[in-house]
Amino acid sequence: MATAVVARPVARPQARARDEEVLVWPDLVFIEFIAALVFTITLFFLSVVVNAPLLDQANADVTPNPSKAPWYLLNLQELLLHMNAAMAGIIIPTVWLIIMGAFPYFDRDTEGQGAWFNTEGAVKITIVAGAIGFFGTWLLILWDSGKIAFFLNDWFGITGGDTFRFLENVRSMQSQLPWPEWSKSITYLPFNLRLLDGTGSGGPTTFQHLDFPGWLVEQAIPIAVLVGLPTLMIYGMWRAGWVMNRRDALLALFSGFVAAYGVLTLTGTAFRGQGQELVFPWELKVSEGIPGQEPGH
Amino acid sequence: MAVESPTKPTIADKIYDKMFHNYVWKSIFRTGYPNTPRNQMLVVATNVFLHLHPTRIHRTHVKITHTYCLGGLSFFMFLGLTVTGILLMFYYVPSVERAYLDIQNITTTVQFGQLMRNMHRWMAHAMVILVFMHMMRVFYTGAYKPPREFNWVVGVILLVLTFLLSFTGYLLPWDQLAFWAITVGTNIAGSAPVLGPKTRFWLLGGFEVGPDSLIRFYTLHVIGLPLLAAIFMAVHFWRIRRDGGLARPL
Repeated sequence: MATAVVARPVARPQARARDEEVLVWPDLVFIEFIAALVFTITLFFLSVVVNAPLLDQANADVTPNPSKAPWYLLNLQELLLHMNAAMAGIIIPTVWLIIMGAFPYFDRDTEGQGAWFNTEGAVKITIVAGAIGFFGTWLLILWDSGKIAFFLNDWFGITGGDTFRFLENVRSMQSQLPWPEWSKSITYLPFNLRLLDGTGSGGPTTFQHLDFPGWLVEQAIPIAVLVGLPTLMIYGMWRAGWVMNRRDALLALFSGFVAAYGVLTLTGTAFRGQGQELVFPWELKVSEGIPGQEPGH
Repeated sequence: MAVESPTKPTIADKIYDKMFHNYVWKSIFRTGYPNTPRNQMLVVATNVFLHLHPTRIHRTHVKITHTYCLGGLSFFMFLGLTVTGILLMFYYVPSVERAYLDIQNITTTVQFGQLMRNMHRWMAHAMVILVFMHMMRVFYTGAYKPPREFNWVVGVILLVLTFLLSFTGYLLPWDQLAFWAITVGTNIAGSAPVLGPKTRFWLLGGFEVGPDSLIRFYTLHVIGLPLLAAIFMAVHFWRIRRDGGLARPL
């Protein structure tokens, strides 16, 4: 028996509620004009008061320490400190942009559009997911910079000795555990497939000789954290009865992203000093890299 | 019954009449001030600058807290950056020998040069922030939902283009900040699997930031990326209308 294939119709624009409408001139045009005016005046005065920075002429032989990307890329530069460069710099942002672009294809319910926080638990989910993203990202950064181990020792005298040194940060799992020699070069492809090892990118693996400890700390753990923690959060919220549909799940995911993105940008901008060491903003000094003028440590 | 008798026109009335009802004025503005609903709709529909709008919109959408004007302001920043950018282009030559000196000239000897450069830079930062906030607004009001799926995708592309526009402009002053930020930034691009090193080489026109990088970034910044962004913006705005205006509850 032939089954008729019925194409699912694409949502059409809503019918207009003409009695609820106002005229664009003057109602909207006026608002646009005022908004443009406010921004022009504000930016004009900002430009009068604060000058755009201009340092010395570019010099390839003089490297400032720290060297930083533009501020909106510092979230990626921060990620770079914690994992494989190709993953942090390219794969994660690309995958995230694709995921974000796919939001409306995942959440196809037309209910609840056109008003702020329009599901039952929306505000609660946004605040809690935002807080988890905020504190979670901070904790992970603190842990991976070794600060948590340092504070535990410095403030409370707690020390794990040599036994637990591998928990100090993610890379100490590679350096502090007694990995057998064979695990650092596992042959699993008979031919040399150079995929993650483009010239200069310096990935820890080749597809011919897998450095297992390196792969674990540079790729496996970061991916597990980045995929696992949001999944766990959404699952928990679903079990708690907060997340009830796909919209709620996206609310949790997006809010967590915004918070984590903010923390990463802020950390990269204001909390990374020389050698990308984690410092307080008021301790942040930039060495211009001019020979003979290096500040003493 | 009181009948209003016509009053003699005052001197102000006469001046107003001379200014706004003369032959030249009327040749520029085809109608007077639109003070009836019919004319107000006509002026939006027939004016080249206003016809991007519909003539009427739902009353919830003029509430400032619904959109905070974030999308419109992002576009306004783009326009402002175009104006200040053109003014800066008069004085700037993208060569390693001249770039830095030209910026110094702009900030010291050119009339209002420092102001133009400051405006350009702060507007660029403002645009990145506004575009991101616009995305948050659209997300939290559920405005990406059907039938606006594709316009959300166009928006994500515009977000990337905004980052790229800002990034390519960052190198142009050719100072230490520019040089090392682009070195770090392109190193990130270069770490991509398979295509990374090629992309980096293509972007920089060499293995490190140099004269070829400057001209490439400049070309992308002043013509390539703005053209691309303008095309996507046109689609973005057009789709708002085609998809039934701003989202509102069913």
